[in-house]
Amino acid sequence: MWKTRDRNLFLAPAVLVLALVGVAPLLFAVNVSLRQFNIAKPSLGFEWNGFANYVSVFQDGYFWGALGLTVQFLLMTIPLQFALGLGIALLLHHQDWPLLRALARVALVIPLATTPAVVGLIGRLGFDSDFGLANWVVTLFGGAKIAWLGDPNLALFAVAFMETWQWTPFFALVMLASLSAVPQDAFEAATLETDRRWLLFRYVEWPYLLPGLTAVLILRTADVMKLFDSVYVMTRGGPGSATELVSLYTQRIGFRVFDQGIAAAMALLSLIVTILLARAYIRIFYREATA
Amino acid sequence: MKNAVKIGVAVGVAAITGAALLGAQGTAQATWSVTEAAKPYAGTTIKAVYLDRPGYKAADKLLPEFEKLTGIKVTSEVIPYENTREKMVLDFTSKSATYDVALTDVVWIGEYAANGWLAPLEKFTKDPKLADPALNLSGFFPILLDSFGTWDKKLYGLPFDNYAGLLFYNRCMLEKAGFKAPPKTWDELMTKYAPKLTNAKAGQYAYALQSRRGETQSADSFMRMLWPFGGSLIDAKTFEPNLLSVASQKGLQFRQDLMKYMPPGIVDYDHNEAVNALNQGKVAMITEWSAFNGTLNDPKASKIGKCLAVATEPAGPAGIKGALGGFSYGINASSDEKKQAAAYLFIQWITSEAKAKDYVRAGGVSARKSAYNDPAIQRAYPFTVPMVKAWNQGNPVFRPRFPEWPAISEIVAQIGTEMMLGKVSVKDGATQINTKVKEILTKAGYYSGAKPKLQ
Repeated sequence: MWKTRDRNLFLAPAVLVLALVGVAPLLFAVNVSLRQFNIAKPSLGFEWNGFANYVSVFQDGYFWGALGLTVQFLLMTIPLQFALGLGIALLLHHQDWPLLRALARVALVIPLATTPAVVGLIGRLGFDSDFGLANWVVTLFGGAKIAWLGDPNLALFAVAFMETWQWTPFFALVMLASLSAVPQDAFEAATLETDRRWLLFRYVEWPYLLPGLTAVLILRTADVMKLFDSVYVMTRGGPGSATELVSLYTQRIGFRVFDQGIAAAMALLSLIVTILLARAYIRIFYREATA
Repeated sequence: MKNAVKIGVAVGVAAITGAALLGAQGTAQATWSVTEAAKPYAGTTIKAVYLDRPGYKAADKLLPEFEKLTGIKVTSEVIPYENTREKMVLDFTSKSATYDVALTDVVWIGEYAANGWLAPLEKFTKDPKLADPALNLSGFFPILLDSFGTWDKKLYGLPFDNYAGLLFYNRCMLEKAGFKAPPKTWDELMTKYAPKLTNAKAGQYAYALQSRRGETQSADSFMRMLWPFGGSLIDAKTFEPNLLSVASQKGLQFRQDLMKYMPPGIVDYDHNEAVNALNQGKVAMITEWSAFNGTLNDPKASKIGKCLAVATEPAGPAGIKGALGGFSYGINASSDEKKQAAAYLFIQWITSEAKAKDYVRAGGVSARKSAYNDPAIQRAYPFTVPMVKAWNQGNPVFRPRFPEWPAISEIVAQIGTEMMLGKVSVKDGATQINTKVKEILTKAGYYSGAKPKLQ
């Protein structure tokens, strides 16, 4: 009896904090999403309006456009980050210079530790059409200067490039940690059976990578779904709507039009998409890992 | 009898008090000084919203004098323009009164005033203790006081940071191409000047129109091209969307056609990029706010030096109809009374006739007529001459000032840039904007008569 109470007491602070910073705002958002809630138009009132906000989001072509663009952005960046990250991890894992490995680990942390707004600024400078690094490289090869951030396709590419620059190290570090978990004796035993690198990777190392990979995929997908700062600084969603990801669109409705009811409905729909994607990852990857 | 005496005494007392009050007022008027007026508020700290633009740096240069005179401490927060309204609306609606001196763009005044977020200034201008007898509201350019500071005939702010759209150009580039004077009309700019001033291979272009998504696209780019051609966003009387009218379409098509003489990626150009392009000799002409004159004349930022020249914006078939923009300083209705009074004293002082020339010399642009009559000011700041000309024939509804503008601006910014990029045709884009505008204005109640048609 006492034991249960003690246990609860110890858990209480964590539960309380979680409730305050996680659950309460979520409930508030649900509440707001079911009301007329434009804080710049207090005269319209803040009445319940049922699912009217959701209906208008469902009918809003721009929202679906932004969501589609976000999925496209996910497909552009996550597989690339995974491939590059895995490559870096394998290279670092299978070489015998501990100093290089230590240095590389530090170097990998630098992009990760950079504030997203600063990443946006670096992107804006790097892809500047007059003074940018990207155009310096282009002119080095005899090309003409390109207006990276003024062209819809190139702007999306530039944003994806910065996103990949910042987050590939995250994949690399987690994959590297997962590789260190591969038992040395198992790996050595396998090398006696075959010297084909691909088979060693596929049947000895890959299963150990899966749990970490699943976690990273879930985190990164959620990150991209709410990716805002760096893109906002770099392109403000433009040119046109070329880089207007769903989070930028939601912010625009919530804090420029100030229709927070609609914005809350959009945010909750994005949350549902994120949860569905996370469940999908767990299904696809975890089943293989346990099989 | 007793009653009569009582009444007599009462009347007498009232008369004496009245006389005393009048006398006090009389002496207050004769000896009014900001120092005296500020005595009850000495030691009060107020916070003003700043932008990273020359007018605010100019205010900073004058501030020490005000603080010394009054003992009121003025702090400031520099906010990027695109985030200013967001920050202020959140401050207003939470009633936290972080900012006492509220910065109001010409297009925010309807929203701020109609929601009761700004304190009406009458309370202060009619208070003899606070109001400077030399306040002289009619000394402001009427268009600026009306557009930036007034909503529904009530005063909410005094014009502080004032802009007119001007044509800044590189005189040397124009002369080299054989032009002695800047283009007088948009048509001339496109057909005569632009082809001779553009050399894409050398990275040189005739003109840059800042068109980045945001207020820059909707105001500086989109609206700028509507008016001179006789177009408009909405019909002034009926408020019906008007972008499909022949004149509006002509203006928008002109902008599209002019793009071949602008640097590539123009849809990513904000004010800084446009100013930079002129400063670096990359473009020959820009239409930009008068407020950027300081940056354009800064030898550290500009390569073109004495080649810089300025004129009014080119005219279209409907006349010049150049861009009008700017900010008033008003008072946050949620600030406490002491801070409100201190804020009023600051606003009155910084926009006063007495300080107008100092403000101009420090790099600001005053809204006082008297400042620009001075030949010395005209000589030292040549841009003020076309600017005054533009204000005298300005277009007070360059952008509608009603509370619905921010939502409309978002739509125009998005579809306007897509139009420039060719993702949607001029006609289809205009149709899309029209539909959205109609939707927003219907919801607001302008067509049903629930709301008076103010803009």
